[in-house]
Amino acid sequence: MLEHKDVREILPQRYPLLLVDRVLELQPGRSIRTIKAISGTEPCFDGLPEGAERWRFAYPRSLMIESFGQSAALLWLDGRRAPALDDRTLMFAAARGLQFSDFAYPGDVLRHEVRLDSVVADTAFASGETWVGDRRVATIATLIATRRRVAIGPNPSPAPAPSMCRQSEEGQP
Amino acid sequence: MTYQDDQLEELREIVADVLELEPEELSDTGDFMEEYEADSLRAIEILARIDKRFKVEIPQAELPELRNLKAVSAALARHATAQG
Repeated sequence: MLEHKDVREILPQRYPLLLVDRVLELQPGRSIRTIKAISGTEPCFDGLPEGAERWRFAYPRSLMIESFGQSAALLWLDGRRAPALDDRTLMFAAARGLQFSDFAYPGDVLRHEVRLDSVVADTAFASGETWVGDRRVATIATLIATRRRVAIGPNPSPAPAPSMCRQSEEGQP
Repeated sequence: MTYQDDQLEELREIVADVLELEPEELSDTGDFMEEYEADSLRAIEILARIDKRFKVEIPQAELPELRNLKAVSAALARHATAQG
């Protein structure tokens, strides 16, 4: 099991976009089970008016998929930190075949069960489900993550092409 | 239909699915990038699907040549023989 401290050492994401709290189980190269607790103080619920309807507290599906993707990254990286001198950046590339069957609300704990299907050319393909207890909230047929060199500085190179980032889902359910 | 025909049709379904087309929209020689607006990520996805379905690894170095269905089919046949 990896505690949040370990997750922070492996993933580059930080508040408010570090969306994995703990790794329950990791089978290197095969599968991972992670959890992410949803709180009412998440930034995504900030600014909702008094008396906001219940549906407005549904956790955004885009963040659910990001959380799933970070879990896939932990699996891909094998629970190890990416080499410090590595100039490649881990990126969410695409998600395909998403099915949402339920909502998650503050107080719920998302549990991602992710399988690593293949890794080709520094691009990982994963699939799996997201659960709240015994309720399945999402099924992901294919999630694609990639590692690319990204120039950071005053003269960034044009790569990667914008078409690499195909967002499949909008924020609110 | 021969085994090769079956395999080509299965490949057409896989590639069409990745390119978000109907199988009948994908011709044997239509250029993935120019005619079907594929990007490099989709090309990699095609390799990953082939690996999963046929258990054949086509090297990443051959990606630039895999411009149409015919070329993918030829690469699959070549590497299936080499790896089988």
